[in-house]
Amino acid sequence: MRLTTTNVTRRSAITMLGGAAMLGLAACGSTSGGSSSAGSDAATTESASSDQLEPTSGMDFVVGFDQEYPPYGYVGDDGEYTGFDLDLAQRVCEIQGWNYQPNPIDWDAKDGELNGGSITCIWNGFTVEGRENDYTFSDPYMLNAQVIVVKADSGIKSFGDLAGKTVITQADSAALEVLQGDQADLAATFASLDTRADYNTAFMELESGAVDAVACDLSIAAYQLAQKPDTYVQLDDELSSEHYAVGFKKGNTDLAKAVTDTLKQMDSDGEVEKLCEKYSDQGISYSNWCLGK
Amino acid sequence: MTIQTMLSMLFGGFQTSLAIFALTLVGALPLGVLVALARQSRIKPLAWLMRIYISIMRGTPLMLQMFAIYFAPYYVFGIQLNPGSKWTAVVVAFIINYAAYFAEIYRSGIQSIPRGQYEAAEVLGYTGSQTFVRIVLPQVVKRILPAMGNEVITLIKDTSLAFSIGVAEMFSTARAIVASQVTMLPFLFAAGIYWVSNFVIESLLAALEHRLDYYHE
Amino acid sequence: MRANAAQQAGPADAAAKGQGAADGLPVVSLCHVRKSFGEVPVLRDITLEVQRGEVVAIIGASGGGKSTLLRCATLLERMDAGSLSYAGLEVARDEGGRAAYADKATVREARSRFGLVFQGYNLFPHWDVMRNICDAPETVQGRPKEEAEAEARELVRRMGLEGCERKVPCELSGGQQQRVSIARALAMHPDVLYFDEPTSALDPQLTSEVLKVIRGLAEEHMTMVIVTHEMAFARDVADRVVFMDEGRIVEEGTPEQVLVHPTQERTRAFLAHGKD
Repeated sequence: MRLTTTNVTRRSAITMLGGAAMLGLAACGSTSGGSSSAGSDAATTESASSDQLEPTSGMDFVVGFDQEYPPYGYVGDDGEYTGFDLDLAQRVCEIQGWNYQPNPIDWDAKDGELNGGSITCIWNGFTVEGRENDYTFSDPYMLNAQVIVVKADSGIKSFGDLAGKTVITQADSAALEVLQGDQADLAATFASLDTRADYNTAFMELESGAVDAVACDLSIAAYQLAQKPDTYVQLDDELSSEHYAVGFKKGNTDLAKAVTDTLKQMDSDGEVEKLCEKYSDQGISYSNWCLGK
Repeated sequence: MTIQTMLSMLFGGFQTSLAIFALTLVGALPLGVLVALARQSRIKPLAWLMRIYISIMRGTPLMLQMFAIYFAPYYVFGIQLNPGSKWTAVVVAFIINYAAYFAEIYRSGIQSIPRGQYEAAEVLGYTGSQTFVRIVLPQVVKRILPAMGNEVITLIKDTSLAFSIGVAEMFSTARAIVASQVTMLPFLFAAGIYWVSNFVIESLLAALEHRLDYYHE
Repeated sequence: MRANAAQQAGPADAAAKGQGAADGLPVVSLCHVRKSFGEVPVLRDITLEVQRGEVVAIIGASGGGKSTLLRCATLLERMDAGSLSYAGLEVARDEGGRAAYADKATVREARSRFGLVFQGYNLFPHWDVMRNICDAPETVQGRPKEEAEAEARELVRRMGLEGCERKVPCELSGGQQQRVSIARALAMHPDVLYFDEPTSALDPQLTSEVLKVIRGLAEEHMTMVIVTHEMAFARDVADRVVFMDEGRIVEEGTPEQVLVHPTQERTRAFLAHGKD
């Protein structure tokens, strides 16, 4: 079972107890370094020597993603990690000869994971706009929009109807960024703007009537509408439009370029279009693909 | 997704929860004794250090401690993390957090042992460590069992915090399935598994309490 | 190492006893003992020697310093000044008005020479009667399990506790518990046995069981120092009675001298106005 990505080796368990007994952060540091073989390939240690990752054949390519973020990354019917972005990542790794490792993360911890080196990239419907200075991005490959979803019987038709309503979105998400930035005036008309840890919880609250609207990505909205077409409607107005790209730790330009080039190649081979069709019922459309067009 | 797939995924996650649970007990139960003794040490700086340690562990969220332990090697010492680091960090964080709680329970138990027990042992010639191991500790175990039971049950449920640094245990697995399958069933199953495992723990604790019920002070 | 030394403690003790008796050294000797709790003086210049085979009863009003004296003699309290020795083994000596204690090994050796029976028994509640009696001989003195258990069974019989071997203290009456605690002390083969008001927590009927056992020990010439409120018992069993008041020994002598014909006013007042 792939979900439990963390296998405890005997050695790392012993090291851990030793570290615990020493009680110091320094101890934790050395144990972390020392147990690199736990749950991963030994190749990780090579990349640990420098901040700058060079694309090399056989290297570990650890994809950090939110496992509750369909259709980009989620648990498939067979229990394996799947999704549009993960399929793209896996294929890129195959072409490059990298060791593909999907690694679910807590979204709030993504920067630490990336900077610390436990993941190679964030590839998960990751919006570029507003984050340009924080990451080294691949070229944008997908167009996206931030939209508002309400219940079908709510009577809310436009942004104007949202005055005095309760709106929620995901913590640390692009939708939140827009609502606190360019669309702050709109947000000011809401009764409240709250955040949830994941969109699934947000939509459960919407369905149960606890809140009036959810602000989210176009694709998230499409996925939820596809699951429960009679329950939700998406407002025609868009909060913003934006681009998705693969995010790397700042400075990893060679790696970002390698991914960009491979994606372009996959598009010209027709692989991307096929993949979009595979996820079309979940809101992915090839018309939104923007790389190399 | 079939129910079988769902359940086998949840049980896969539960194995991780159980591993965190077991390693935490194995590490924190003895470490707590040392902390409790150091906390009552006559060496003042050591006692103070332990007091501060216990205060920090109890006064800050476990989730935050996990973040600190996971990311400190990189942000403080510049050591690169790897996918194995998070498992180490989770277990270390759980052990040192729970050792602090256990230490305070031990301390309350140790302090509740009447002075006369120590005096009787001293007059009979027991050394300090013999007195502690043979006379004090067995009585402490009986006195603190109910309080320890509470902590142990909380520990099972606290394992769900491990996903905050990306260790996928049962609850995060349940959430992932809920997200992709748009059904509440995984939550129901997860709740059932938590409850059943805690029911087993409660029963074991009750049996142990019954076993120690052969005397009272 | 320690186990070895302890194993030899039995025979070595016997030798020491013989020698001590031959030398006429007192089993325990306390000289010019002073002790204060904060500003309050509790013992003011107490000197007491106990000879082998002697039974000494200490009487006096509460707060007179009897228990503190016993606690100093058993090393549960440190004296401020004065000296303490057990048959020539110097545990503390007076250095310029301060009590200077000997090293740990000497203190440990001294502990092996006395036993103490507490007012509140202080049995180990998680152990049955046999374990309460056997454990210290096995753990502290390193004696073989079989030997310790055989002796414990003998002690159980002498204390009239047959059938209680596997009971835990909470299943016993106060009198039975106190007899177990006497057996526990005797199992260590002490040169002298101290009793700190051994019957004051017991009702009269249970008191008599315990006094009977102590009387039996006196007949076997066990050296004992007994702090007690039982005047009749003191007169009956003691070779010497010591009356303490306000941290001083006011009067001492045979039971006849102290209890029947006291010379001191304070002794008379104490005997006339009740025990406590």
